[in-house]
Amino acid sequence: MRLRVVVAAALAVALGVMAASAGASSGHQQANKLTVWLQVDAQSGWPDVVAAANQAFQAQNPGWTVNVQYQNWGDHLQKFDATIAGNDTPDVIEMGNTEMTAYMTSGAFADLSASKSQFPNSDHWLAGLAKSGLYQGKLYGVPYYAGSRVITYRTDLFKKAGIAKPPTSLALFTSDLKKVAKMEKGVKGFSAMYMAGTDWYSALDWVFDYGGTIATTHAHKWVGALNSKQSIAGLTAYKSFFNAVAPKSASTLDEANPAPYTVFSQGLAGAILGPAWFSCCTGTKYKAVTGQFVMPSHVAGKPIPGFLGGSDVAVPAESGNKAQAIQWIADFTSTANEQSLQNKGNIPNATNLLGNTVNARAAAQSWFVPQAKHWVDVENGNILRTMLAQILTGKLSVKQAATTASDNIAYTLNQS
Amino acid sequence: MASAAETTPKWSRRRRFTWRHVGQGAVPYALVAPVVVVMGAILGYPLYSLVRIALDRYGLTELIQHKGVYIGLKNFDSVLHDSVFWHTLLRTIVFAATNVGLTMVIGTFLALLLVRISTWVRVLLTSGLVLVWSMPPVVAVQVWNWMINSENGVLNYILTELHFGNYFQHNWMQTPLSQLGMVTTLIVWGALPFVVITIYAALSQVPRELVEAAEIDGARSWRVFLDVTVPVITPVLLILTSLSILWDFGVFTQAYLLIGQPHIISANYLMGIYLFEQGYVNANFGVGAAISILMLVIVAAMSVVYVRRMLRIGDVT
Amino acid sequence: MSVRNARRNAWNVVGVAIFVVMIFPVFWMVSTAFKSDDQINALTPTWFPLHPTLEHFRAALAKPYFWDDVKNSVIVVLVTVTIAMVLAFLAAVALSKYRFTGRKLFIVLVIGVQMLPGAGLIIPLYVVLARYHEVNTLTGVILVYLTGVLPFSVWTLRGFILGIPKDLEEAAMVDGSTRLGAFARILLPLVAPGLVATSVFAFITSWNEYVWLSYFLGTSRQTDWGALMAASTLTAIPVVVFFLLIQRRIAFGLTAGAVRG
Repeated sequence: MRLRVVVAAALAVALGVMAASAGASSGHQQANKLTVWLQVDAQSGWPDVVAAANQAFQAQNPGWTVNVQYQNWGDHLQKFDATIAGNDTPDVIEMGNTEMTAYMTSGAFADLSASKSQFPNSDHWLAGLAKSGLYQGKLYGVPYYAGSRVITYRTDLFKKAGIAKPPTSLALFTSDLKKVAKMEKGVKGFSAMYMAGTDWYSALDWVFDYGGTIATTHAHKWVGALNSKQSIAGLTAYKSFFNAVAPKSASTLDEANPAPYTVFSQGLAGAILGPAWFSCCTGTKYKAVTGQFVMPSHVAGKPIPGFLGGSDVAVPAESGNKAQAIQWIADFTSTANEQSLQNKGNIPNATNLLGNTVNARAAAQSWFVPQAKHWVDVENGNILRTMLAQILTGKLSVKQAATTASDNIAYTLNQS
Repeated sequence: MASAAETTPKWSRRRRFTWRHVGQGAVPYALVAPVVVVMGAILGYPLYSLVRIALDRYGLTELIQHKGVYIGLKNFDSVLHDSVFWHTLLRTIVFAATNVGLTMVIGTFLALLLVRISTWVRVLLTSGLVLVWSMPPVVAVQVWNWMINSENGVLNYILTELHFGNYFQHNWMQTPLSQLGMVTTLIVWGALPFVVITIYAALSQVPRELVEAAEIDGARSWRVFLDVTVPVITPVLLILTSLSILWDFGVFTQAYLLIGQPHIISANYLMGIYLFEQGYVNANFGVGAAISILMLVIVAAMSVVYVRRMLRIGDVT
Repeated sequence: MSVRNARRNAWNVVGVAIFVVMIFPVFWMVSTAFKSDDQINALTPTWFPLHPTLEHFRAALAKPYFWDDVKNSVIVVLVTVTIAMVLAFLAAVALSKYRFTGRKLFIVLVIGVQMLPGAGLIIPLYVVLARYHEVNTLTGVILVYLTGVLPFSVWTLRGFILGIPKDLEEAAMVDGSTRLGAFARILLPLVAPGLVATSVFAFITSWNEYVWLSYFLGTSRQTDWGALMAASTLTAIPVVVFFLLIQRRIAFGLTAGAVRG
């Protein structure tokens, strides 16, 4: 028996060793290997851009391999934290522009100020985007791309409803949508505009349109501003817009489940609000009748302020390959790549590259979140989503919901 | 070498062999060592770091510096003074009690059913249960998402078609109560197979003669169940209930994924979610570690009875 | 028809109804894997895709890492189960057959480990793997699963061993043979169904953990639900077959220690 047990155990160990050697890449920093973390948006949206960067990098650094790993927005920060704890960080990481501040203030990234001139078009970086990568005057994040929000709509439905050109004010837009809704009344599940109720990236457009904001600083302390008169006016306007043209069943949904373009592709939406690259996925059936325009403000002739989303790329402070990481980033944000990104519906990182795309026009009027260390906690705590759900379901009045949210935001941002 | 005259069985001729007479020696320790070594190698550091970090202020900055700042029991203090902790604890206890109750009641009923049905139905149902059991929780969450989503979920469709009312695009995840209710259906569904199969196995240990004797005496099936069956399967029911309490109290993955991060708020926190949100999502690792230890203490306290019983069973005499 | 038969038929109907309800999510998963995207997103559900499409399976198979993933998951689960059975059996024998100082402590530890909140261990576990340079390697994953599978396996095997009638064991004792020798010849065959049952539990637990762990710790590749669904169904089949074959033996072992206790 002893022999049998020993043989069995040896077999198991042997299998284990075989498995280890046959398995995926080992964890320790191998020489001449660059680990890059990008989001899945790049994997599905512009894989050629990534390939071009890798090619250029490898030409300059023969013998080096680039290991690109794609992450999800939902959990990439927890994974990043784990690699920091394990001394196992990637060499390059893509960060959302709202995520940068918390990590910059904690010292997670390497100071790239000395290498700024290495990055293409660094003198013309988009101000709004570049700001998110700066802390105390030093450069920690290189702007990668930005995106504003536009209306993607069904040109055939708008034409059929007698709408000749894109509306120039919110009031006109609302009445246009009502015409489309009336026309498609018989289609079950159709809504003139599909919006996820808790999509704060879209909803807060109204707040900023009426002159409100999320939070301001007074004597080094954050003060919530969602319950100011202007913000409340904006939220009230959002509520009436939503009730007029969007489906009630979407009051508490978020913007990922379902994705607005999925609803569009099923023929159940006349218009959706989102990044310009939404046009990629409106389905084969409606591809030919998909159009985009900039959403108008309640003030005629102006665009509504849109959320300037975007990503930076940073180099974790613990990386052992900083020089190569900087080179890779330079290759990744090359002029050619940025042009390519623009062609796919994004905003490039420099003003001298901006074309007259609908996206660029929308970006002319934009808003951004408070640059605070604990802003990420506000997002993770779903404070804004809760407020919107309470408003749209009527659980709380606009004033009550806004005040609660305002207080919560101030409390969160003022944590040490 | 056996001679033809030896007709009595070999074992009755030697002296009574008992384990007690075997030398203690190093053998048991050698047998237990591999498990201890593997568990120690993997869990040793995490447990040590859990305790150490719980006594530190350990946020993102400390993570990056790989060094915490010692603050004694302050983390425990802030957690125990946080009303969210107490509300979450109460909610989790109610959640666990509901899940365990449903699992055990439905599980017992299904096990009893398995006894009473024809073989082919029993094979069908058992195969079905095993298929359910072998579905990974992450996959099950995705399927649940497809079935209950408000936009085009099949659940709404079935309910509307069967004239239970107008459930067109009804949102099953609108309030914390309905969210946790949906999580409950998922958990109970996934937990039933193991419970049913184990109770069914225990039922097959109930002596048939006793049951038949009671039935012949004219006892109603309810009485037969209570007086004959239950005493025999009680130990198994106790074990299953204790295990279920343990598992359902610490539920995290299914709840977190089904509700979805954008909809997680303190009103629908379960202890596992609370731990993950405070400790990891908010990068407050010291507090997270403190909550982990508190959870461990609470679960251990709830399991004292179970552990005592387990220690008594099979005591070498 | 006798009352008994009528009763039985009534219960049969209930049994089939419950089967349909329990199995529905599994059925939904399988049928979705064969539906086209339009059918999946449509407002009116398609019950049985009349024109089943293999596009999801084809897409999954075409992905560069598909066969690697399959190979890796099979290796990981098989190695974990094998090592776990060997180690757990040895420990279970010690627990049920020997009296030694520290026995109760070991039992408390085995039970206690199962009480650790999993969510709290994610990062420390990652750190441990990183220290040993075993992140993203199969060995690292196997070691982590072992910690999840071992306690329960030790416990279950102990129950099975306790359930073996003492006289059967002692019957095996022959003068001059070692105790361990007796194990091989008598205990092992008797405990074999218990070993099989426990390895089924370990298999299922490891398979479930694999999906969870690769979701939280491993590299993210856009989860291919079609492939995942297919793999889940395929692995379920041998498990079901195993189970039906050894059902009766499991009954005995699972409850032995407890019922007699």
